Amino acid sequence: MEVLSFSANALCLLSIIAVAFPFLSFLTIMLGRKSPGSAISIFNTSISFISSILVFISVWNGEPVQQQVEWFSIGSNVFSAGILLNNLSVLMMVLVSGISVLVHIYSISYMKGDINIHKYWAYLGLFCFSMMGLVVSDSLLLIYMFWELVGFSSYLLIGFWFTKDAASQAAKKAFIMNRIGDIGFLTGLMIIYSQFGTFDIVKLFGSGGMIDSASIVDGIWISASTEMPVIWLTIAGIAFFMGAMAKSAQFPLHTWLPDAMEGPTSVSALIHAATMVAAGVFLLGRIYPLFDSVALNIITIIGVLTAFIAATIALTQNDIKRILAYSTISQLGFIIAAMGIGAYGESIFHLATHAFFKCLLFLAAGAVIHQLHHHKEQHNMEFDHQDIRMMGGLRKQMPVTFIAMCIAAAALAGLPFTSGFLSKDAILITSFEWAEGYHGFKKLVPYILTLTSWLTVFYIARLIFKVFFGKSRYTDLHEAPTSMTRILMILSFGSLFILFSFNPLSYDGSWILKGFAGAGVKGFDRLHLFIPAIVTVISLAIIFIAYKVYGGRAVQTFPEKGLLYRFSNRAWYFDSLYDFLFVRSTTALSRLSYKFDKLVVDGLVNLLATLTNIISEVADWFDRNIVDGLVNGLATLARKTGDFARQFQSGKLQHYLLTMLTLVVTFFILTYFI
Amino acid sequence: MNYILSILIFLPLIAALVIILLPSGFRERFKYIALGTSIVQFFISVYIYLNFNSSAAFAGINRESQFQLVEKMSWIRLDLGSIGKLEIDYLLGIDGLSMPFLILSALVMFVATLASWEIKTNLKAFFALLLLLNTAIMGVFCSLDFFLFYIFYELMLLPLYFLIGMWGGVRREYAAIKFFLYTLFGSVFMLLIIIGLYFSVLNPATGNHTFNMILMMDPANYLGSSIFSTVASQNLLGISARLLAFIVLFVAFAIKVPIVPLHTWLPDAHVEAPTPVSIILAGLLLKVGGYGILRICYSIFPDAAIQSAWWIGLIGVVSILYGALNALAQTDLKRLIAYSSVSHMGFVLLGIASGTTEGVSGAVLQMISHGGLSAMLFFLVGMLYNRVHDREIANFRGLALVMPQYTAFVMIAFFASLGLPGFSAFMAEAFSLIGAFTSQEVNGLLPRWMAIGGSVGILLSAAYFLWTLQRMFFGQTRLKGGDVWLTRLRDVNIREKFALVPLAIVAIALGIFPSLIFSKMNASVLAFIQLVSG
Repeated sequence: MEVLSFSANALCLLSIIAVAFPFLSFLTIMLGRKSPGSAISIFNTSISFISSILVFISVWNGEPVQQQVEWFSIGSNVFSAGILLNNLSVLMMVLVSGISVLVHIYSISYMKGDINIHKYWAYLGLFCFSMMGLVVSDSLLLIYMFWELVGFSSYLLIGFWFTKDAASQAAKKAFIMNRIGDIGFLTGLMIIYSQFGTFDIVKLFGSGGMIDSASIVDGIWISASTEMPVIWLTIAGIAFFMGAMAKSAQFPLHTWLPDAMEGPTSVSALIHAATMVAAGVFLLGRIYPLFDSVALNIITIIGVLTAFIAATIALTQNDIKRILAYSTISQLGFIIAAMGIGAYGESIFHLATHAFFKCLLFLAAGAVIHQLHHHKEQHNMEFDHQDIRMMGGLRKQMPVTFIAMCIAAAALAGLPFTSGFLSKDAILITSFEWAEGYHGFKKLVPYILTLTSWLTVFYIARLIFKVFFGKSRYTDLHEAPTSMTRILMILSFGSLFILFSFNPLSYDGSWILKGFAGAGVKGFDRLHLFIPAIVTVISLAIIFIAYKVYGGRAVQTFPEKGLLYRFSNRAWYFDSLYDFLFVRSTTALSRLSYKFDKLVVDGLVNLLATLTNIISEVADWFDRNIVDGLVNGLATLARKTGDFARQFQSGKLQHYLLTMLTLVVTFFILTYFI
Repeated sequence: MNYILSILIFLPLIAALVIILLPSGFRERFKYIALGTSIVQFFISVYIYLNFNSSAAFAGINRESQFQLVEKMSWIRLDLGSIGKLEIDYLLGIDGLSMPFLILSALVMFVATLASWEIKTNLKAFFALLLLLNTAIMGVFCSLDFFLFYIFYELMLLPLYFLIGMWGGVRREYAAIKFFLYTLFGSVFMLLIIIGLYFSVLNPATGNHTFNMILMMDPANYLGSSIFSTVASQNLLGISARLLAFIVLFVAFAIKVPIVPLHTWLPDAHVEAPTPVSIILAGLLLKVGGYGILRICYSIFPDAAIQSAWWIGLIGVVSILYGALNALAQTDLKRLIAYSSVSHMGFVLLGIASGTTEGVSGAVLQMISHGGLSAMLFFLVGMLYNRVHDREIANFRGLALVMPQYTAFVMIAFFASLGLPGFSAFMAEAFSLIGAFTSQEVNGLLPRWMAIGGSVGILLSAAYFLWTLQRMFFGQTRLKGGDVWLTRLRDVNIREKFALVPLAIVAIALGIFPSLIFSKMNASVLAFIQLVSG
């Protein structure tokens, strides 16, 4: 490894290239003239991949590299942005860019003929950019930004066929579910910033960093500058984990992932199998020192539950992509649970192996879907080309795909000589070792995981036998184009043990695990032999049963009805539950609040206006009749007096004489009679 | 002494006079005069931005000597005998709090003028009023004399009343009068406080009472026995006079912001107003409210502000959530955006209430960001309405197939508004919330749950924007107006791009380099925090 070593500056430049080049494809395609864009995209991702490899070679197991620049400052607090390269980030870089190159090449044939193909390449570029940015960022704020951009680009890709209602709804659902997690992430950011005043990952989580040196005294969490109740440490852990739960599709925020299968299969392979869903695990890895025992317990419980729930759902699905989607959720549950029990290295190890074999499963499924779809269009047929009940007997018509799928399935099932065997065993064994030290529910963890791995064997065997065995119902179905099958072959190689460990039967020699040594408990030899043997033997038995049930396609041993079947088939009714609990109640609440706004708040304003109007009417009446009435009354009085007085001035002599006589008589009477 | 601010303020007034004097034969040229004016203003404001001194020695806030581009002239001096001498100055100046608003005003005015192409009737009056409004808004952001500020502040109402009432939609008269009375209600009481302040404050240099805002910020300038004196702590109507004054001023500005429950003028005014006026209302008028709270309420009555922080924070959170919930229930696109403004302006209050550098910086950035984005959103709605005279969400479907570029701009505006990182609103909202959360530790003003409650608003905003996208733009095309609409729904034209592209660029630039704003106002924000928290 000493042959290739770069200075820190060069490494940062290389990683910037690795991050920025996919973004260039996005920019050039979106802003440029309409062109298919495939050449630019593949060139850029290849550059990204090569740079990643160079960075990987010189950083792996070496000194971590961090470089940063001042980004902005608020008041007197400086926020910097930078790059942090350590084992975790360089491994993810290679993984992300590697898978992305393969998916790019695969997409040429898979997406051929789509009218919006240039947008597809642009969105893929944006996605790779966000994902690469996420893994190299050295600041939680930057990670959060890329984190949401990952969500955004996945929104674009899931909704790529936007004329399909299901696709645009799935895209919306994915983004909003991820937003729920983002609120958690944001809360975590607020707690961290409030307590430590920085987002710098090295300063926070590095050895001897702020988290390490913060102390807990009498229920108060004390940092160098400030303090808060210790409950906020736990809340911070859970809040960040909430972000990871949404991205990594953990129960109860997992329901977006199966729906996300509405996107192109190549996208499912890249985003929803290998990379985006890994972001949650990556985040946990980045901030691992933050988690206290409560948070770790919650992580373990959620992981185990997710693994089990998703596996039971996968048992009865009939859409080939949905089976794989639930399988992804289940495997991510394994990985998260491993994080929870402190098996840091094992978790990352399984993440890496899973990326390959799950990507392969998706791409192989994509090949099947692609061929069936073409067949359907050529022959003007009408059937659901993703339904495994419509497949069968494809092993002779699509032999390469068949073999690739078998290898990937074996890896998923954890059969010997595959990569999955190594990493799954690593997690299982560590979980048994971990459980030795505990009582209560924690004793159950390894057993549920083992049970789940057997469920996994069954559903993936069911898929293989239903799709590839039996008799084909299509006469002239062919193997997928070579550009696709070549990718399948490469990934098949990556799903074998050799890439990860020279010893096919023991994970001890795995270079990834060595790279993350230091976390977790030391192994016991007894378990190392015992568990893999038992697990494998039972797995083989399950495969045999599955073959008996599904291989011949003749008999239907398992009833496809009943309570348990429906419960599994309808995915534990999570969607209906959420629809009722959250979607309907929120829309009802929003309508209610609008009614309130219109009737009460605005009603008050209008009432005030009406009242003012009424008062003004009253005032008007008062003014007219009383105030003005008084004035007019005075005038009338004056006039009336005048009228009265005027009567005396008639100008007629007899009137004057009469008046005079009256007066004289009056005086006479007054003087003499009274 | 230079007159750059005066030029900035009165240039549109001159242009308005020119328009009035020109014969109606030039009717079609009026819009170019208005456009040219806003472009010149924009370049002036950019010039001011580039030459702005952001060092701590030019922080401004409560030190007159630290303001930049100060113009000070005696304006009215009236001997009132025993009461003393009336002293009103023509006092202009800017600091880090007001400078960003100048660029925003010029930009929004530019966009609003471009949107005025749709106005077909009575052009002379329209553009004269628009330019008068421009003068008033610029004046508000530059005034440092409370009397002058009040004149500009009230001057904004007049053109807006006519612009809504004459060129608005069906219920324009109702909306116009509601808007006018609502805001007048706030500002009438403001006048009382201004007079009270006038009689409380002495200019140490001349010994006269004064309307100078900056002098009002220094407790030493208050007469010991005066109503608003910090020492005498007089009571009015049973509560401290200073608190009462703060509340009255706050309500006056908060109506403009607007806050729940004093917001109902906004949906009506926004919906009924013609597009350019909606743009100005959302883009600038609401910001006058937020700016007033910072510059006047908080700066003159910091003690009362600290006392009321909890309530202001609560109002902020309630506005965020209530506005977002109401937006979710809307069926009219323009009304939806109007309610989303209520929600987004809630972050401004929350950030200000926190009394932290992060919160206040976030709040100011949020005002700038929302100014641009709401202008963009209303412009986009206006484009649709202009083409088919309809904006019911349910009447459109699959617009992405018909108007791909339009859809792209809508997506940019929507995602920017819902706080996607990389756009300005994210930085603004994130730091408003971070400030609110940190407040508990820094100064104990706001409890932590407020920040967490506010963050739920970010989720709701994603819900209503994405739901709208899905309903109107995705799926197979289905329009209420059928083929007639199909021919009328032409994609974005050049003029519209000229309006939309700058706004999009500003949103992205501020999202990636928030220091474009932060670096210019850091010193002022620090001085502001220093003033408020003592």
